[in-house]
Amino acid sequence: MSVGSQPPQTNGIAGDEVVVITHEDVDRAHDRVRVSEARAHRGFFHGARLLWLLVGPGILVMLGENDGPSMLAYAATGAKFGIGFFLPFVVLTFVMAIVVQEMTVRLGAATHRGHAELIFDRFGPFWGWFSMIDLALGNFLTLITEFIAIRAGLGFFGVPPWMAILIALVILYAALMSHRYWTWERITLAAALFNLVFIPVALMTHPHWHAVRHAFITWQPMPGFNKDTLLIVLADIGATVTPWMLFFQQSATVDKGLTTKDIRFGRIDTVLGAALATAAALATILATAPLFAHQMGADNFQAAEFAQALQPIIGRFGASLFALGMVEAGIVASITISTSSAYAFGEVTHKPHSLNLPMGQGKAFYSVLTLCAAAAAAIVLIPGLPLVYVVLLVNVVAVLAMPPALVFLFMLVNDREIMGDLVSPPWANVLSSGVVFILTSAGVLFGISIIAPNIFALLGGK
Amino acid sequence: MAREETQNLEADRNLVLSSLEHDQLVRAKKHHIPRRILKGPELAVLWTLRVYLLFMMAVVVYQVWTAAH
Repeated sequence: MSVGSQPPQTNGIAGDEVVVITHEDVDRAHDRVRVSEARAHRGFFHGARLLWLLVGPGILVMLGENDGPSMLAYAATGAKFGIGFFLPFVVLTFVMAIVVQEMTVRLGAATHRGHAELIFDRFGPFWGWFSMIDLALGNFLTLITEFIAIRAGLGFFGVPPWMAILIALVILYAALMSHRYWTWERITLAAALFNLVFIPVALMTHPHWHAVRHAFITWQPMPGFNKDTLLIVLADIGATVTPWMLFFQQSATVDKGLTTKDIRFGRIDTVLGAALATAAALATILATAPLFAHQMGADNFQAAEFAQALQPIIGRFGASLFALGMVEAGIVASITISTSSAYAFGEVTHKPHSLNLPMGQGKAFYSVLTLCAAAAAAIVLIPGLPLVYVVLLVNVVAVLAMPPALVFLFMLVNDREIMGDLVSPPWANVLSSGVVFILTSAGVLFGISIIAPNIFALLGGK
Repeated sequence: MAREETQNLEADRNLVLSSLEHDQLVRAKKHHIPRRILKGPELAVLWTLRVYLLFMMAVVVYQVWTAAH
């Protein structure tokens, strides 16, 4: 790299304007040259190469959201309700995620700005800080739960908590060491694909395929309408659509250098990520469904307890895979969520924020990223903290914080001044309004279930 | 050595200018996008959702408190 780790340099003059080229620009340009070369040729091989070069943010965000609390939510769903309503419901939540995340791809490709930066610039710091506080709080709580999942998952193998946390932090730091977005993305993608380990685990339980088919066709059996069901509904929604995903995918789209020409591939990337994440989520529900069949109470189960409970059914090897899947979910999410916090911090403070930055130029970016992760990890090691409440509620908090975040996204993606002709078409607005309505209604129902639980009994629940 | 470095810098500059869109350059991102003036209904929606979120967070805190006790 000829610019190396030097500070930004004035390299030449274009017209009357002095063009300043940075290390980040050069790295991104190299990535774009490869994309241009692949695009210049026709044929299956070049098409596949183009797809390979352009996928990343969508798969990462979707598999990243299959994180510790999400996988626990799916495991609890299977153990509590078995095969039924929640299988098609989880597919529906991923469809909602596609609708939402596609908007961030368009926004990032059209404006080349991160989500936090756009909110601050277009709506001003007053609304900008509100959304940043939502993001920072949600991200930090979620990060804590990722380390809880890692600790519990590795605990299954007898790894002491401090070592489990240290292993996770070393992996997170190792992924950053390349100081290159492309390398970071490929390392994290490779780790994220391990999320699919839940599929063989599900197959080991010999799922009742007839019941699975019946559930997808009829959405039956329906669970009773009560507080527990509502908590699982919210947890499953929060397992697929959360504010950090908006910030992460838009910033990653910008950092990767995608342009409006790449939007189609950004969409494919998002759908592909959602398909993989859906497969892993459904597999987790199927994997723990035998616990429902055996009437095992799985309330307040953590990752290790699920693995232990499954061991008599799928053996030590299957239970180990389940525990490793939980560890992977926590590690990948801790990488993507801390990166999302660092991107947002850089965008708001106008400090350099890119995974293409050398350490010297990106001190603030890398410091925020590692400090967020380290602080969350340290909290998990404090003995006696009631961490179980954080795990149970983090997805609920994500659902509650989603409608305000979505309205900002909705307004930005319909803002013709910044989007030009890429504003959302009416059908996309109808779909995204539907998502806002579903999320807000779920939140309101949750609030009613807490404040006035008797109303549920009146409506026929328990 | 200095000449080689200059040639490399020139090559980088050409590479960047030929493969990135102008507003993808780090330098270009230092310019702020102009503020949008929010209309009454937009402000009403934003405030409603803000109040909704604060209220629901209070509900969550209440639930954690009751569960802990």
